[in-house]
Amino acid sequence: MPSNPRGVFSLIIINKAGGLIYQREFQSGLRNLSTNDYLVLAGTFHGVHAITRSITPKIPIAQPAPSTTSTGTAAPAASGYSYPNPGVPVSGLDYLETDKFRLTCFQTLTGTKFLLFTDPLTGGVDAIIQRIYELYADYVMKNPFYQIEMPVRCEAFDRHLGAWLRGRT
Amino acid sequence: MGATSKPAILSSSAMFGSMSTLNNPNLLKMSYYFTILSPTDTPLFNIAFGTSKGGGDGIARFRFPETAQYMNQFIIHSSLDILEEAQWTNGGMYLKHIDTYPPAAAYITAFLTPSGARFLLLHQPPHLPSSTSTSGSIGSSSLLGTAGSTTRASSSSIAANPTSPQTEEAVRQFMNEVYESYVKTAMSPFYKQGMEIKSPVFRSRITAAGKKWL
Amino acid sequence: MAAPHRHATMQSMSNGGISSGSDRPQQHSQLSQQSPGLRVPSNRKTIYDRHLNRTRTAELSRASFAFLFGEMVTYAQRRVTGIQDLEKRLNEQGYPLGLRLLDLLFYRSTSTSSSALSSSSTSSSPPNRPLRIITLLHLIHGPLWRLLFGRAADALEHSVSPDTPNEYMITDNDPMVNTYVSAPRDMSMLNCAAYVAGIIEGVCDGCGFETKVSAHNQPTELWPSRTVFLVRFGDPVMEREKVLERAGVK
Repeated sequence: MPSNPRGVFSLIIINKAGGLIYQREFQSGLRNLSTNDYLVLAGTFHGVHAITRSITPKIPIAQPAPSTTSTGTAAPAASGYSYPNPGVPVSGLDYLETDKFRLTCFQTLTGTKFLLFTDPLTGGVDAIIQRIYELYADYVMKNPFYQIEMPVRCEAFDRHLGAWLRGRT
Repeated sequence: MGATSKPAILSSSAMFGSMSTLNNPNLLKMSYYFTILSPTDTPLFNIAFGTSKGGGDGIARFRFPETAQYMNQFIIHSSLDILEEAQWTNGGMYLKHIDTYPPAAAYITAFLTPSGARFLLLHQPPHLPSSTSTSGSIGSSSLLGTAGSTTRASSSSIAANPTSPQTEEAVRQFMNEVYESYVKTAMSPFYKQGMEIKSPVFRSRITAAGKKWL
Repeated sequence: MAAPHRHATMQSMSNGGISSGSDRPQQHSQLSQQSPGLRVPSNRKTIYDRHLNRTRTAELSRASFAFLFGEMVTYAQRRVTGIQDLEKRLNEQGYPLGLRLLDLLFYRSTSTSSSALSSSSTSSSPPNRPLRIITLLHLIHGPLWRLLFGRAADALEHSVSPDTPNEYMITDNDPMVNTYVSAPRDMSMLNCAAYVAGIIEGVCDGCGFETKVSAHNQPTELWPSRTVFLVRFGDPVMEREKVLERAGVK
């Protein structure tokens, strides 16, 4: 497990309408963005994500093998095209990598998106996101004072998130 | 009746022995009146029944049938003062025999749940046949005569004596079973403390407990 | 007057108990005995057929409790006038539970051989109803907390101030009900463990100790949701306590 303290840069949570509901930095020295910029970033990403989902390329189905049950039934034969993995719904943008950072996007079943900015060398990002999702499910969704789709202001979530990321270091 | 072949407890042999010697099956059949009172003295549940042990038919035969219904309640409620005194000196739940009401030869046994509900059992031994001539006429006028006869009755036979250890043990078992059913009632989300217990299942459980132990 | 009726009831009872394959007319009479409002589950098992001691297999997930409690808080929050009002409502939700738990706690400790109340009473098998304040508080601190949360509470203290000899404090470093609760900043005084305070109040009241219990935040570095339950006994209780002490009641 790479436990570089600089592994995780920042976390953004976007609700299903594209609004920014949580933003936190875990690394000093990042360029400061204003709250407005964060809102714009969240909205833009939401749009980009929707576009990437609709432009997910389809591949042609092998024509001469209609008898194989799995592909034959999953995609309508009329179209002749199918997603690379027919059993999985289209997810859109999963990650974006540059030489300075890696942006990983995780979308929950209800459409909430977690954006995690990490060092490109950090491994096991999926596990990190899973854990953050877990903390979110526990300390945000089970909090009686949290109103759904609204900005997250849960002291226990902040505390546990910080403690866990620090614990990794 | 089907109640004869119940498993015997300690006291039943003694009861049986004395009964056969007296050779009057009606003689040692106790009459019971059981009630549950809320901590604020509201009656939650009432039932009257008689001895089922040793061939008893389980029917209550109170001394003064016309007045029994409210007299029993009156006697039980009058023992509450004593109960509330005993409550703070004895930490047990089963407080045993706490009060006697000589005019009706009624004995009161109490059980207190931790949450303050009181289970009160009134036992009344039957008439002695020897005194039938005087107390045969039923009514309030013969109160004194009956009192005299009962003191003799309770001293002469253990089985009819509600304060004997065997009786106390049987009542303890009875109370424990009632307690179990009561806790189950209290656990129901539709039951609030202080509500009358109307469940016919509860009533049948209490009847069964009475048949089993008393 | 009542006797013939009882007799009939018992007759039908014994018929039903002896054999299920009894004659049809008897069954019919038994059915007609049932009150019309009674509805029995399809498996014929009422609450009276359940065991009160089966706890191992009946454990609930913490998440479902958290969601339920969350909804309870949300429900209590409707049309409240302030934090105190909200805490009062939570307290009222807990109170009846305290009364019930008291009976269940004693039932379980009488029916199981290893007495769960042994810490509170020196006598062995039948647990005693608490008569004195200290016994009661030990009952809450130990057995009750274990029944509710699976562990004892973290501290039990008596007020040091001579003005308030009727005040006791029970501390829980990390109350289970508050695990996932973060109160908004403008309600920082709120402690949802007011619900637990209501349970304690129910237990005390049930035992005959008139009490007011409130929950207070006392966070420390290590325990951010540390909660102190302040138990204030009423004057009649304190007077009785003196009498019982003189009488040597334990």
